[in-house]
Amino acid sequence: MRKVTLLLLGVLIIATMVISAPVLHMYTALDVNEAKIYIEAFEKATGIKVDWVRMSSGEVVARLTAERNNPRASIWFGGPAVDFIAAKKRGLLEPYKSPNAWSLDLTFKDYDGYWTGFYLGVIGFASNTEQLKELGVEAPTSWQDLLKPEFKGRISVAYPYTSGTSYTILAGLIALMGEDEAFDYYKKLDKQIHHYNKSGSACVTQVGLGEVTVGISFAHDIVKKGVSKGYPVKLTIPKEGTSYEIGAMAVVKGGPEPELAHKFIDWMLTAEAQSLMKNWFRVPLNPDAEVVEGAVRITDVNVIPLDFVYFGNAKDRIIERWKNEIQYGD
Amino acid sequence: MYFTKQLKRIFNEPTLFITLLAIWLLLGVFVIYPIVMVAMTSLKDYDGNFSLNTYKMLFTKVYFRRPLFNSLKLGATVASISAIIGYIFAFAVTRINVPGKRIFTTVATFPIVSPPFVIALAAILLFGRNGIITHDILKDSLKIDIYGFGGLSLVETLAYFPTAFLSLEGILRSINPALEEASLSMGYSKWRTFWKVTFPLSMPGIFSAWLLVFAQSMADFGNPMILSGNYQVLSVAAYLEITGSFNLSTGSGLAILLLIPTIVAFTLQKYWLSKKSYVTITGKPSTMSILEPSKAVKTLFTVVLLIFTAAILMFYGTVFYGSFTKLWGVDHTLSLKNYKFVFDVGLEYIKDTIILAAVATPISGILGMLIAYFVSRKEFPGKRLTEATSLLTFAIPGTVVGIGYLLSFNDRPLMLTGTAAIIVLIFVFRNLPVGVQNGVAALEQIDRSIEEASLDMGASSATTFWKVTLPLITPAFFSGLFFTFVKSMTAISAVIFVVSGSWNLVTVAILGSVENSDLAQAAAYSYVLIFIVVVMMFLLRMLTYRFSYERKIAR
Repeated sequence: MRKVTLLLLGVLIIATMVISAPVLHMYTALDVNEAKIYIEAFEKATGIKVDWVRMSSGEVVARLTAERNNPRASIWFGGPAVDFIAAKKRGLLEPYKSPNAWSLDLTFKDYDGYWTGFYLGVIGFASNTEQLKELGVEAPTSWQDLLKPEFKGRISVAYPYTSGTSYTILAGLIALMGEDEAFDYYKKLDKQIHHYNKSGSACVTQVGLGEVTVGISFAHDIVKKGVSKGYPVKLTIPKEGTSYEIGAMAVVKGGPEPELAHKFIDWMLTAEAQSLMKNWFRVPLNPDAEVVEGAVRITDVNVIPLDFVYFGNAKDRIIERWKNEIQYGD
Repeated sequence: MYFTKQLKRIFNEPTLFITLLAIWLLLGVFVIYPIVMVAMTSLKDYDGNFSLNTYKMLFTKVYFRRPLFNSLKLGATVASISAIIGYIFAFAVTRINVPGKRIFTTVATFPIVSPPFVIALAAILLFGRNGIITHDILKDSLKIDIYGFGGLSLVETLAYFPTAFLSLEGILRSINPALEEASLSMGYSKWRTFWKVTFPLSMPGIFSAWLLVFAQSMADFGNPMILSGNYQVLSVAAYLEITGSFNLSTGSGLAILLLIPTIVAFTLQKYWLSKKSYVTITGKPSTMSILEPSKAVKTLFTVVLLIFTAAILMFYGTVFYGSFTKLWGVDHTLSLKNYKFVFDVGLEYIKDTIILAAVATPISGILGMLIAYFVSRKEFPGKRLTEATSLLTFAIPGTVVGIGYLLSFNDRPLMLTGTAAIIVLIFVFRNLPVGVQNGVAALEQIDRSIEEASLDMGASSATTFWKVTLPLITPAFFSGLFFTFVKSMTAISAVIFVVSGSWNLVTVAILGSVENSDLAQAAAYSYVLIFIVVVMMFLLRMLTYRFSYERKIAR
């Protein structure tokens, strides 16, 4: 029995040692495989260890709300600015104006420093080319194309309340069509949808695998997780106009290690860190950073002007309406 | 007064009394309190005032009634099919001379000890739109949609019929063959004997197996999370409400809707059916193959057994194969890339999972044994209640426990969110019932006089427990340990609410990979987990042997 007790004690000691090492705690809404790129480079550059969890950005907000009185993470890294604005409204964030953010256009960061942008992304459609051939249709190039009977039960997208990507899509549709019309459109779209995911980029691989024919997600995710991996995936951009995001990061209010969080934000804005985004076909915001071939720039496509502050503040109401009318509507 | 006498006796032994108080405190805080919190939260409105709005909404709006109805329908379907298949398996193993019984029994237990997603994962690999069977073999000639009710029923049946099988096997073994013999010798045919004797005697067992599987299916989180498509079930709906929208009261309300049927099922199974059981144990060795049916029927049984065993093997084999493919669905060249990924990115998860499970296992085991000791050896007020409470977590769906822990330990005085402790506690208390049940069963076989001898010679209750009782129940203790360890390694439904950056688990990583459709990665993760479980099984077996060997020497 003594041996077991000793063993137990040993395990406990190791466990406490692991806990007491100083680290930056992070929630990220980036893909696991992508987050790893920046986090490992940051760890190497600064010697700070990062403990991170990947969640969809809706989940991050929910988690931060749940932990409001006892925040466990110091930084929220990645996710559309609208979700950061919603979080700011709930009082979950702490302002930090990074000295490295000076070069950013004012629209790419919060005026008071509650969040800082670090990349731009536009929404696109991912289509499985083999299935398009079998179905005898062209890849969709407009929102209306998604309603074609051929695509019935063959589209996937994420829940707008768990996924920032998906909320960006919904916000774009509202900005494009007007709220009531956008919901009318979504009701029709809902009938085409095979299933909803929790995370925005999940549909890309599903399209690649042929589980569904069309997915709606960010262009960089479609290129990275679909096209560049060798899946039979084609990227198209809706011609009526498409939605876009400013990918952001922010310091969590009352988080355990604010200085480390500041260091991360500073580092992530450097040209060196921003150039790493070429690995994921993202368009960096630092003008000195490299942009990879194949990345979709906002200037290349027709984007819908989005009032991020409006959509950030209206998120709770719009989501409630979506749940009522679309997810659980008849 | 009987009551005061009991109290007095317990006061006389302070160690005993303090231990009992500690057990009550632990059960109260970590079993009862979280459930109460869930119930209370579901009865609060947005501002924290008492209101029945959540329930009004849950029952008036189609969109919450639907997941409830869906869960019940799925549970009933899976339970019915599983009970039938489980009965066929059990009957074949206990009453018919089918070849290869051992193999059938072993394979059928795979789903019980493996990570929760393997079967669902295999279902996608095999029957997805681009699956091996649907796409490569059938060339899309059949329109199979694995996402939704059909797929879920298939996957849950494969995952849970073993439960029905194992419980029915026990029942059938305990039916005295003499009764069947009597019927046969009175001139009844084998068929009639089966319908008039064997089947009615196994009825309570069938009900019991049905209820067990029903509760398991209702509580299942991993499979529907992956495969439900647009067929919303309660556990997933509650999870999305809480983690996606932070809608605590609706999520809690859904959790309560999930809790009620599962609790009812378990209570019926445990307290009603176990009393009605027509078990006829006599101690005589049961003679097999007494109802040996005609060749045709026997072949039929063998075929059913073969089909299901082959299905399980195929499912596990597919995932194994998938874990070595370069890019599932596109490039099936074999490579170790996914395992490299698992050890690159997932090493932290694996380490955390092993550490947390290793810490929780002995705590749960010892606590379970302590409770078992009190319940079966000591007299004290509230004994039945203590036992029932310690068994309660078995009946409560993981989703409810997870929500309860999230609500209860997020604030002072017990601020545990984000720590290792909260995960360990979930492991400990969710697996406690096994330790308790094993302990009680083992203790009932040990003559009390051995302990009495120790007490008479002046040893305290505590010393007697550590030096006499515990060594005697070591085998039961270790088998409980193994189960706790396995269940901790493969847990998802409760812990998904409390994992954090510092402490994350392999199962959560698997779920992430599957959601992302990184199926090959998920497959590799699953097999790493399976490997660890198998290694642990061997280690614990060896330990058990060693301990029992030492015991023999000492005697």
